[in-house]
Amino acid sequence: MNMPRFFRSKFFKDILNKLLGKNKVLKIGFYGHPNSGKTTLANRMTTDWIGKPIGTVSQVPHETRRVYRQEHVTVKDDGVELNFDIIDTPGIATKIDYTNFLEYGLSEEEAKERAKEATKGIIEAIKWLDDVTGVLLVIDATEDPLTQANITIMGNLEARNIPFIIVANKIDLEDATPEKINSVFPQHTVVPISALNGDNTNLLYRKMVDKFK
Amino acid sequence: MSETNSSDTETTGLKMDFLSSSALNSQTSMEKVSMIVDRVKRGDLVVIEGGLTPEEEAELIETTMREIDIENFMGIDIYTLEKDKTSFFGLSRKKTIGITIIGPANVMKEVKKKSNFLSMIANLGDTDAPVH
Repeated sequence: MNMPRFFRSKFFKDILNKLLGKNKVLKIGFYGHPNSGKTTLANRMTTDWIGKPIGTVSQVPHETRRVYRQEHVTVKDDGVELNFDIIDTPGIATKIDYTNFLEYGLSEEEAKERAKEATKGIIEAIKWLDDVTGVLLVIDATEDPLTQANITIMGNLEARNIPFIIVANKIDLEDATPEKINSVFPQHTVVPISALNGDNTNLLYRKMVDKFK
Repeated sequence: MSETNSSDTETTGLKMDFLSSSALNSQTSMEKVSMIVDRVKRGDLVVIEGGLTPEEEAELIETTMREIDIENFMGIDIYTLEKDKTSFFGLSRKKTIGITIIGPANVMKEVKKKSNFLSMIANLGDTDAPVH
């Protein structure tokens, strides 16, 4: 049976796209330590491009304790479009001390519950490493970047051949030293930004188009 | 039985286990991670010759999160010391992990780390015994 020309062309185009991987949804994971500013950045990005935030942010560590997903975000740069899903993950840590949350005014019961949820969130974040196609590794530029969590995340991305950009966040703060992140990870793309103020986010969007398209 | 021969002997000090790379190479990743978490959860400090693979590190964090019980085990701290490794022809040099130190987060109180030096103060409850 002969296929009409339109369907024939679509049929071959679909096969070609599948072979080239063009039908694959880009899933950009936001990874990093608790309180590095992943959700602030995700909110900045979704507000800039689709007009609404993705999640809530707070000063208390482990505010994001489950993975949030925002589908169909489109970033445009110089006529090039990047369509992707944002995967905002809980901060990865090797330890959780519930007594730290008490300093922020949480009751003991709330602090313990938060700690329990945070452990599950970290497991979920690690599992998502198998499913993301690109990553923004968000590092607080006022902190030491050479931590086990950052090293583990980067090692796993390299082992899986997942492209990533290091986002040196919080450059609006006086004690931020994004150049230190550059010097520690000279082989990787580092973009200094302030997710809070939006400083330099245009450069980040440009780098994302270059890296993930 | 002498005290040093018994692994079940209760100690008031810090127990440190040194594991050679050849002892670890015979184990699967899962066995390695379980062995480390079991020891660290008991309060031991584990010192490994070499390092874990990135996948094993992720597995270690994941297993640790499953084992955290809020009141008694708050997780782990991991530190590594790197060394330069020169290729066979001496043309390239890259960093590899020389030793890895993994311990309970509530015991590894203060750690100062430089590229070729690591100093740790262990918290042993009422007595703060420095370990260098």
